[in-house]
Amino acid sequence: MTARALRVVIGSALALASAAALAALSALPYAAEPADQAVIRLAWRARGERVRACRRLTPAELAKLPPHMRQEEVCERRVLPYRLRVTIDGASVVDELVRAGGAREDRPLFVFRDLAVAPGPHRLEVMFEREEDGGGRAEREREEDERADARQTPRRLALDQPVTLATRRIVLVTYDDEGKRLRLLAAPGGGS
Amino acid sequence: MQRLAAAVETAARRALGRADALMNRLYGWRYNPLYHSGAVVVALLVVLLVTGIYLLFFYRLGAPYASVAALTAQPWSGRWVRGLHRYASDAAVVATLVHALRVYAQGRRWGPRTLAWVTGLILLFVVFVSGWTGYVMVWDVQAQVLATEGARLLDVLPIFSEPISRAFVGERPIPGAFFFLNLFAHIAFPIGLGLVVWLHVSRVARPGLLPPRGLMWGVIGLLTVLSVAWPVTMGPAADLFRLPGPAPFDVFYAFWLPLVRPLPAGVAWGLFTLIALALVLIPVWTKPAAALRPAPSAVDENLCSGCEQCYLDCPYEAITMIGRPGGTAEGRSALVAHVNPARCVSCGICAGSCAPMGVGPPGRTGRDQLSAARAFVAAQRPDERGVVVIACDRGAGEITGPGAVETARSPVYAVTCVGNLHTSVVEYLVRAGWRGVLIVSCPPRDCWSREGPKWLEQRLYHEREAELQERVDRRRVRLVHAGAAERGVVVAAIAQFRAEIATLAASPGEAEPDLARECEVEEAGR
Repeated sequence: MTARALRVVIGSALALASAAALAALSALPYAAEPADQAVIRLAWRARGERVRACRRLTPAELAKLPPHMRQEEVCERRVLPYRLRVTIDGASVVDELVRAGGAREDRPLFVFRDLAVAPGPHRLEVMFEREEDGGGRAEREREEDERADARQTPRRLALDQPVTLATRRIVLVTYDDEGKRLRLLAAPGGGS
Repeated sequence: MQRLAAAVETAARRALGRADALMNRLYGWRYNPLYHSGAVVVALLVVLLVTGIYLLFFYRLGAPYASVAALTAQPWSGRWVRGLHRYASDAAVVATLVHALRVYAQGRRWGPRTLAWVTGLILLFVVFVSGWTGYVMVWDVQAQVLATEGARLLDVLPIFSEPISRAFVGERPIPGAFFFLNLFAHIAFPIGLGLVVWLHVSRVARPGLLPPRGLMWGVIGLLTVLSVAWPVTMGPAADLFRLPGPAPFDVFYAFWLPLVRPLPAGVAWGLFTLIALALVLIPVWTKPAAALRPAPSAVDENLCSGCEQCYLDCPYEAITMIGRPGGTAEGRSALVAHVNPARCVSCGICAGSCAPMGVGPPGRTGRDQLSAARAFVAAQRPDERGVVVIACDRGAGEITGPGAVETARSPVYAVTCVGNLHTSVVEYLVRAGWRGVLIVSCPPRDCWSREGPKWLEQRLYHEREAELQERVDRRRVRLVHAGAAERGVVVAAIAQFRAEIATLAASPGEAEPDLARECEVEEAGR
């Protein structure tokens, strides 16, 4: 075999090997989640109680404003937070304040938590309760919009029921806006 | 920091040098894919565009997984076109990284090259995002993980009115708007690539956007064979009520998942921002100290004849021709060359292009080179004038480094780039009595100054200004190419050249050839 032929053979082999490596790396097996796990997913959107805190501006503050913006009273609207408590098999796994979205906390509240659990039966208790204090504003008024009140999430939501999860399955706890309650959702055969 | 940058640069240069030497040996420097990595990326983007348009006809927003599965099941066209699309996208990432590494290793990343560096990073990011959205389109397990992880990361940014993650909780079917937006992003980002590519090469003259045909069709053919022989697969369909099990993931686009998934989204963004900043600021924090930066070229307007050759040869479009200040009195040319220091990388190619030696970086103009050549000749023993090697000190088997003379068994005259070399130096050495002058350049597509070997070859053999004069015996002058790790090639070339010129009569040798004076005489006669 001449040196040139040898180079052609080795060059072709290298090109094919590089291509094979590319294909292998293009489809490398990877498990994003552990095999022996299941998940209770808490995910819902809630319309909390909207409140506003108003105060009268001082003459000095008013003087600093342009004439067309001199309103004597300014109000900040926001949505009251909720406390989320989750207990699995009697052990508390979540106890946190869920604040409304948005920089001014005036958007709906969103809950999104994945709780990893061992497959099998569990006792699940979820409590989602409005924090009436809400940061201790001295002056607070309820929103006057009756329609908004009608759409509001109840002050207290609770779920207490047994769940059985198969391996790698996800059970979803979500909020039923029409029934005004928390409910469990699972794919067929994935849990109950 | 600069020490670290220099250490990384040296290590990268050595690794690339060895890889280049292997590729040159197997494929020849003309078809070395590592030299053409940037152009290979462009060729692959064209492949992605063509195959992507084809695939678009079969993709259904309402049934993403089913439509891709049906396409993959087509044995005659869909399967391999999809495979080619995917493998080309993977190869584009590899070629981009090789290109970035080469640019870094060669120090071509600061000063006037900052724009190319930064736009190159943008291109890499766009390619990456395009690949990400492309994988989400398939809506298999990999797509599910990429989409949910992307949503988790995006949700911490205060730009969306509602969390994107809500779309993937399983409470309701994935909205069709999501797949539409994803498809839109997959198409829109590559369209933006065109503009960024233009910016990327906007500061170079005659950019080589495509690799040599042989290499281009070789790469495309190889990927096509691969897509037929090793068809791409799909993972199981995405199931939002099931934790993603083992599935095939593309390392080139999903490498970050194992690193980022355990981290809180804010920390992941912090890391990403730090890495992005470090990469974008590389031109700043690896810039050499002011004293070490080569000065840009300057024009001696008294010598400039307005011939425009330096303007034509400059690989960075740093030279323009402007009206001669003070007018055209005394029969002078109306135009004179002007160097824009903001664009000049001090490659010195203009010095080699200027017959009257009126332009070049300080200390490296044709006249400076002749002075250096005179000193070089004076330092050599007059009775040992066989082969003299002129070598680029960035490649050329590193023959200009320590121990060079012993290795070459010839005196070595180092230049910063052979494109910088004025042909008068070659003539001077021949007329000083050297039997032969061997010029060793980097392989043309690996020139740090882009076009040095190309212009020198034309100046030596094709009468490009400033050409080697006819009176010089071409048998005594040879140009060879060798990469940094190809010292063996250089040594062999020296030996072969020495044997060939042994049959020639000894060069007559002039006691003191004065080419500078001859140039002035020529210039005065214009």
